[in-house]
Amino acid sequence: MQFNNLFSILPAAVLALFGCVLLLLRFDSSRPYLIFLAFAELLAAIGLWRQTDFLGFTGFRGAILIDPFGIAFNAICLVAGLICAVGAYRYMEREDEDHPEFYGLILLAQSGMYLMNSGTELITVFIGLEITAVSFYSLTGFLRSNPRSSEAALKYLLLGAFSSGLLLYGFSILYGLSGSTHYLNIASMLATRNSRDPLILMAILPIVLGLLFKIAAAPLHMWAPDAYEGAPTPVTAYLATASKAAGFALLLRLILGPLHDLRPAWEGLITFAAIASLTVGNLAAITQSSTKRLLAYSSIGHVGYILLGLVAGNKTGIEAMLLYLLVYTLMTTGAFLLLSALDREGVTDFRGLLYRHPGVALLMILLLLSLAGLPPTAGFVAKYMIFLSLVQARQYWVAVIAALYVAVSLYYYFRIIREMLHNPDDSPATLTISTGWRAAVGLTAILSLGLGLNPEPVLAWARSALR
Amino acid sequence: MDAALFYTFAAITLAGALATVTRRNPVHCALGLIFSLLGVAGLFLLQAAELLFAVQILLYVGGVMVLFLFVIMLIHLEQAARLRQYSRQWPVALAALFAVFLEIYVLAQSGLPGLPPSPQPRLNAGGNTERIADSLFYVYALPFEAASLLLLIAIVGAVWLARKKEQPQ
Amino acid sequence: MADNLTLILFLPMLGGLILTLLPSSKPVLVKFWANLVLGCNALWTLTLLGRFDATHDLQFIQRLPWIPSLGAEFFLGVDGYSMLLFAMTSAVGFLASLASWNAIDTRLKEFYVSLLILQSCVAGVFLAVDALLFFVFFEASLIPMFFLIAIWGGEQRRMAAMKFIVYTVAGSMLLLVGLLLLYFEHWRQTGFFSFSLPALWATKPEGDLGLWIFWLMFAGLAVKVPMAPFHTWLPDAHTEAPTVGSVYLASIMLKMGTYGFLRLVLPGVPETVKQANVLWWMSVLALIAIVYGALVCLKQKDWKRLIAYSSVSHMGFCMLGMFSLNPAGISGSMLQQVNHGISTGLLFILVGLMYERRHTREISEYGGLFGPMPAFSFVFLIAAVSSMGLPPLNGFVGELRILTGAFEMSVPWALWAGLGVVLTVAYLLWCYQRVTLGETSAKNLGLADLSGREWAVVLPFLIAAIGIGVYPQPAFDMLERPVKQIMEKVRPNYYAQSN
Repeated sequence: MQFNNLFSILPAAVLALFGCVLLLLRFDSSRPYLIFLAFAELLAAIGLWRQTDFLGFTGFRGAILIDPFGIAFNAICLVAGLICAVGAYRYMEREDEDHPEFYGLILLAQSGMYLMNSGTELITVFIGLEITAVSFYSLTGFLRSNPRSSEAALKYLLLGAFSSGLLLYGFSILYGLSGSTHYLNIASMLATRNSRDPLILMAILPIVLGLLFKIAAAPLHMWAPDAYEGAPTPVTAYLATASKAAGFALLLRLILGPLHDLRPAWEGLITFAAIASLTVGNLAAITQSSTKRLLAYSSIGHVGYILLGLVAGNKTGIEAMLLYLLVYTLMTTGAFLLLSALDREGVTDFRGLLYRHPGVALLMILLLLSLAGLPPTAGFVAKYMIFLSLVQARQYWVAVIAALYVAVSLYYYFRIIREMLHNPDDSPATLTISTGWRAAVGLTAILSLGLGLNPEPVLAWARSALR
Repeated sequence: MDAALFYTFAAITLAGALATVTRRNPVHCALGLIFSLLGVAGLFLLQAAELLFAVQILLYVGGVMVLFLFVIMLIHLEQAARLRQYSRQWPVALAALFAVFLEIYVLAQSGLPGLPPSPQPRLNAGGNTERIADSLFYVYALPFEAASLLLLIAIVGAVWLARKKEQPQ
Repeated sequence: MADNLTLILFLPMLGGLILTLLPSSKPVLVKFWANLVLGCNALWTLTLLGRFDATHDLQFIQRLPWIPSLGAEFFLGVDGYSMLLFAMTSAVGFLASLASWNAIDTRLKEFYVSLLILQSCVAGVFLAVDALLFFVFFEASLIPMFFLIAIWGGEQRRMAAMKFIVYTVAGSMLLLVGLLLLYFEHWRQTGFFSFSLPALWATKPEGDLGLWIFWLMFAGLAVKVPMAPFHTWLPDAHTEAPTVGSVYLASIMLKMGTYGFLRLVLPGVPETVKQANVLWWMSVLALIAIVYGALVCLKQKDWKRLIAYSSVSHMGFCMLGMFSLNPAGISGSMLQQVNHGISTGLLFILVGLMYERRHTREISEYGGLFGPMPAFSFVFLIAAVSSMGLPPLNGFVGELRILTGAFEMSVPWALWAGLGVVLTVAYLLWCYQRVTLGETSAKNLGLADLSGREWAVVLPFLIAAIGIGVYPQPAFDMLERPVKQIMEKVRPNYYAQSN
């Protein structure tokens, strides 16, 4: 019993412990911090791997569940955190803010994500969400001398607090209706209810809205472009991927668990959010002149695609969502990290990159092709799976709309590529690269191509995670 | 009798909250918040949650609010008092509020079908403290400990963001 | 080993990878290596053509597992139709590259690497017997093409490249959705997930589902062919692309659209294709392309743009033949696709040769080229006659077959198509007259005629054009079985009726 409890949160405990210890360390360069962080992530990964032998175990009276779903999402968050941290240290040095608190907060955020991914009890997941969110508020505002950073953090904090309140309100009504905060109990209590019950709606609406905020889906996406733009770029990479994945894990656990039979209550809102995200994300990205904002809006578009897996509602759809989140994490961390190497972030600052730094440009082209969803990249496989699930659910019109938006997104991704093809002229942006950065970006770009040519491993992984 | 007390405490809570939001003087706002919290404490008492009632007054009012007042009085906030109080969109906010109120009213009128009967406050059930301890340290042990981690992160973040950047030597 | 389609398919790409290791400082080495690889590729393909057995269906088959979870295999094979197209692709690709020996002077290595990758991708389209593999190559070929246009193209190259890729991808994604609908119908009927063409052909979806599949696939393929009114990307892409890009686009990539129609649409949703209003729409759109394309050609001042619009018109002929749903029309359409690749490829190469000399595409800048360049004018005459569809060249054979097929389907349509033929003769003769005949202006007096390398490039085209024109029977023999396969699905009673 004791062992169960400790074991079920071992990765989170390790991450939290190392995060706290990191706060106490003081070194001259940031490399030791990175080694420490990598070590922590390694231990957490080992913990996750050991967990695969103990599937089905619960800890803390049902608050944590060890299942392939949770392990898969935790793996995604772990990979995102490691890649972002490894690619970040030269950037933070350049900004003169490479302090241990940065790396410590990354680890602490990840322990919160663990609770979100594996938690099966309302209060646990809420605390996990708050831990992640508060860590990110600080990380977003980390560049203390940069007013954009502080403004981004403030906006994120205010809107985040509001949405957390909304979420908690929904949770409290859910508790009131079912008398328990544990998912299994809620599921059985709600099974007897009619899904058109106005009280159910009053519970589900705030919950879904609160979670839509977290994953930056329209119509609650307004914080994302500002927060992504103002935050230090590696933090943006981390925020756009790991935090989103954890938010999706929470949403999926709720929807596949207690709210499963109440589909009519949430499917309208989710469908609206999916199409709205696709529209807002893709159309707004076209006019952006800042690459960070462009990628932020494109992330909103990607969230729309992922939500379409829920709209389809079948097993293929959920598998597609998991696959998309993994591929999206790889592509987006790669893209944002690559962007972090440039000292300026406008689209026109990519001008002539193909001629000055052909290797870097090639990596960026690979990542952009994957983001756009062109074969033979992994991004195409992800979009393909979403289309597959929609067709299987006979949602033909939605599939057509999603397909057309791929062409729209091509326009702004290729705008960046076009800039790279221009002849190099005056005052190009300079590049600061480190070995870690090379490893991180190289890995993500190669995987984006490799997983596209041979997608079978990830397809099998997604299927096994949702057994 | 119960109903009268409920409405009284609810009124105190709401009035205090309104005062917090609308007053110009920060000290008045803090006092309004204190009243609001006292009202909530009263509501706890009505539900026979004696421990929460006591903890609410001790911790929230006695601890947190006093700290708030200290900070307010230490910092000179006259400029804040002269600033514009409301955002320009206050008509929209009022309309949204009205819509929510209408929704709740409609729901209430429909009799709130299917709501499980609210458990009556069990007077003389004894062991209020024990029951809360059981919840906190047994059923919800993990969220409780995680909450301490959350507070740590919040403190670290607050201190970090508020510190001035060290000047390079 | 000699029949290993996988090796032939990836040979150009492997050559490209090796090319990245060669030093950029030795341009001659780079050019030599790239052309060597493409030349070997072309020769190898021609030997395959020689060994092709017209009495069998799919040959040189290779079937490897690729994505078992989705039922997609790495399934390669050729039948008569794809063998002809593949042979044309390899040969034209090599010749276009050879023609560009002196045309490119910046980023030479990247240029040839893109070209080699492009060659592999387009080969993959014709060799794939698995629909997902087909689609992946279909889309992937857009990427090197985009770079070829955007980096080495003309003045407006970036806009043209963007238009090209956005327009095409919009259509292709809809094609993917349509393909998935067919794929799922197959699963519902058999319980198996498979993308292989023979499996998908057995599905025969009906009614509403068939209509959905048809129109979605139409959306994707119609942009590619291109069918009017989805052709607006073509003139810009063709004119702004470098010569080799234009040749690839016109000769090869447009055929991917018609190939898709003949491989996915006609055998995939035969019940829908037979419907009267679908046939009406397809025929009308084809005729609009024929006549409108030809009319627009008459007012073109840019030589390349004229040839680009002529492609729209010619592809309209192919579409008309295809949808007449009889052996004459379909075999004519298939052959005409190969012929168009030859004739238009040659035309673009000739324009490219002139551009290298005079650096202008304006027809008015030329005139009276017959004087200084008689050999060029002769070759240009052959190319124009081939494109016009006059005997004794290849264009005539294909067009005659198509018109026969159209006549069999509907006399009024055939008459409209005949009008198209007349207009084609008109604009090509007029272009020829303005460029080669008449007074030789001073600017054109000192131009050099065809060099040895340029002769080496155009000679195979001439041989093919004359050969197919004079003796088309072997080609038709190769096409007989594929045509029969399609006819059996679309009109099973056709052969019984005609007996």
